Amino acid sequence: MSRKWKVYLRATLIAAEMTLRQNVMDGFIIFTVLIQPLLIALLALWMLKAEGGEQVIFIVVGSGMTGLWSSLLFISGNSITSERWTGTLEMLVGQPTPVPVIVFGKNLANVCQSLGSMVVAYLLSAVIFGYELQIAQPLLFLISLLLGIIAFVTFGLIIAPVFVMNPAVQGWQNAMEFPVYILSGFLFPIALLPDWTTPLSYILAPYWAARALHGTSSGGASFGEVLFSWAMLLLFSAFYAGISAFLFRKMLHKTRVDATLGFQ
Amino acid sequence: MRRLAENLRIFFQGALLSYVALFAWLRPVTYMASKVIMPLNQLLFFTFLGISATGRDSASFYVIGNAMQIAAINGIYGVTFSVGGERWAGTLPYLFGAPANRMSVFLGRAFFHVLDGMLGVVLAFTWGVVLLSLDLAQSDPLALGLTILITTLSTSGLGLLMGCLSLITRNIMFVNNTVYFLLLVFSGANIPLASLPSGVRAFSMSLPLTRGIAAARAIIAGKGLQEVVGLLMGELAIGLCYALVGYTLFRRFEFQAKRRGTLEVF
Amino acid sequence: MNAIEVRDLRRVYRATIGVVRRKIKEVVAVDGIRFDVRPGELFGLLGPNGAGKTTTVKMLTTLLIPTGGTARILGHDVVKEASAIRPRIGFIFGGERGLYWRLSGVDNLRYFASLYHVDPDTTRKRIPYLLDLVGLADRGQEKVEGYSRGMKQRLHIARTLLHDPEVLFLDEPTMGLDPVGARELRQVIRNLQSEAKTILLTTHYMFEADALCDRIAVINHGRLVALDTPVALKKLVSDLSVIEIEVFGIQEQALERVRSLDFVDTVAVEDLDQKQSLRVHSAAGSEAIPPLLEALDGVRMGKVVVREPTLEDAYVRLVGGNV
Repeated sequence: MSRKWKVYLRATLIAAEMTLRQNVMDGFIIFTVLIQPLLIALLALWMLKAEGGEQVIFIVVGSGMTGLWSSLLFISGNSITSERWTGTLEMLVGQPTPVPVIVFGKNLANVCQSLGSMVVAYLLSAVIFGYELQIAQPLLFLISLLLGIIAFVTFGLIIAPVFVMNPAVQGWQNAMEFPVYILSGFLFPIALLPDWTTPLSYILAPYWAARALHGTSSGGASFGEVLFSWAMLLLFSAFYAGISAFLFRKMLHKTRVDATLGFQ
Repeated sequence: MRRLAENLRIFFQGALLSYVALFAWLRPVTYMASKVIMPLNQLLFFTFLGISATGRDSASFYVIGNAMQIAAINGIYGVTFSVGGERWAGTLPYLFGAPANRMSVFLGRAFFHVLDGMLGVVLAFTWGVVLLSLDLAQSDPLALGLTILITTLSTSGLGLLMGCLSLITRNIMFVNNTVYFLLLVFSGANIPLASLPSGVRAFSMSLPLTRGIAAARAIIAGKGLQEVVGLLMGELAIGLCYALVGYTLFRRFEFQAKRRGTLEVF
Repeated sequence: MNAIEVRDLRRVYRATIGVVRRKIKEVVAVDGIRFDVRPGELFGLLGPNGAGKTTTVKMLTTLLIPTGGTARILGHDVVKEASAIRPRIGFIFGGERGLYWRLSGVDNLRYFASLYHVDPDTTRKRIPYLLDLVGLADRGQEKVEGYSRGMKQRLHIARTLLHDPEVLFLDEPTMGLDPVGARELRQVIRNLQSEAKTILLTTHYMFEADALCDRIAVINHGRLVALDTPVALKKLVSDLSVIEIEVFGIQEQALERVRSLDFVDTVAVEDLDQKQSLRVHSAAGSEAIPPLLEALDGVRMGKVVVREPTLEDAYVRLVGGNV
């Protein structure tokens, strides 16, 4: 049994490696992962300049999260569909490693890559603007980051098969980008929004990730609050992982019945 | 006279066709999403961001800035693809080879996108009034309409230039998106020009949209048409400059391509 | 145990036509075919374009679910036990796609080796060996987007051999290759067979099937019309002669006249640049020539040859003249 997991782990890592190798040459991906979050950070930094230095870490983390979400939506969301476009989907379905393992590896690469944008935003504000950046609770922040990554990657495992099965849904990708920025409180507190939107925020995993990350980097969150956010992240991750197994099975069956594995 | 009629016919035909071709692949639902939902999203996001920084009273500053910036969507994405789209459809050689008046063809590409862009801005303003309590009571509707028209025209001029650039690079989406966000940052849509360093401000003034936004803000605050005429003229002039540069590039490409016989491989 | 067992395999495609008034059109691509392939055999699936060859292979390689019937690869059902089959087979659909063009040839191979559970040590040794085998030894580090079509095809072969599969499915492997490249590839395929691999090859080139295969199944319009060794298939037409007439621009009317002659078995027309080659199968042999020439009155003609039938003619007869 353990040999199987070792083999799957190797497959995951190599899927991640190949994804990274291909991504660095794709302009659209470079934009989504690096440039857009950076420009948002720049914009936000200027707009919130009056507030002073403490806000900066909030903006860095917040704009990093916008990069994470956009990357998840456009890149991870298309992880299976893009294989179809390049004509490699048939290869991937016909080989022995389960497709979810490969998609997981791809998502992992994308998430880590867009975390890079958080780092660059950090450096940008430190170097260009001369702000001093302090993370209030580094260890808790790191754990929040890890749990956030898991939640995002598992969410990616849901949208990828859904987008493949239902191409119309892809049209809504653009429509899903900014609303999550808004409802998750990446760059401003959701207190600004009308009350009726709050339940919507609660059902979004990115909201809980933002709460944990902002709480532990800017400070101001009690340990209890952080713990609760972690619990929500774990809950969501488990839920996503659970239904993703079902969705993949459904997708793999449907595409083989409908003969939609090939280039459309 | 016949020549003029002929040119007009080419203009409209090409314009309509390129517009339809661009959106032919879109389902109505997706088109709705991009025309209605996306601008709304952007509007909401940046307005809330702005409010969190400078307080609820400043909302209209951001609403106007972002609503006007919607014109840029059509200018950049719509027009760029109309021109660049020829390359991907492989129809560029036929375009170059046709005896039609270049200018008619070229400008025709932008025509319907200008209309489309204006519609987008008007929709954005509507959202602003309905959701974000934008107060248009003191604005001269004609002046505002003119401002929207001129701004859309000038961003289309930029679009024409970018369309030509898209003929030489494969990573055009990268350029498109970057320019779109640069406009968001530097046109005064979200950051008052006064608070930018003077060097950067000079850059802002060389962009389309900047004067248009300033004019719109002035009109909504109650100023009359004659007070913003200077800004509007400037906006139009900038747009024209970009369009002219684009046109020059277009002709140069054509000349080069014919000379080197590399029509297919840009 | 047979390597491949196919029973009443059926595949129907549904397409919706029209936007406002939608109609469902059903196309039967594979209509109840049946055959067995023995271990170590080089089996050919031969048929014109659109006959159902690729659809059949996709079903056998677990990429398509059959609408009816069953198939077993190495004893495992293709639908219910797909995961048992996948590690033991390799397949090529060829063409320009199926490779990551932003990655190098070596990286592509590394990726697939890992997906096929080949351990790192074996991978390290096997990749250079396979690249050498297919003649890509010095081009391995280049990105696939710079490869010619022939090179991509050869990389596909290397990819499919990485995990040393027992059964290989090659779908039109030499299509699009220049004659030299195609010949080299056929040699590679012959060598593979000597390694006791079972190979199912699809092609629409008769001479290729004749040259390589132990047995050939001829498929047309989704149905199997013949299944035998090349020698036996040739016997199908041994009672016929072939009258080959060079014609310049023959019209449908003249063809109809020829077809309606009662001693004519099959008629095929092949386009050769400025002219066509009209091939008439008939038991009447050279006696058929005068009535034929009469039927072709008004058509400009060149050479007239009577010859023994080849396997190609057997194929033409089997597919009713529509190659």
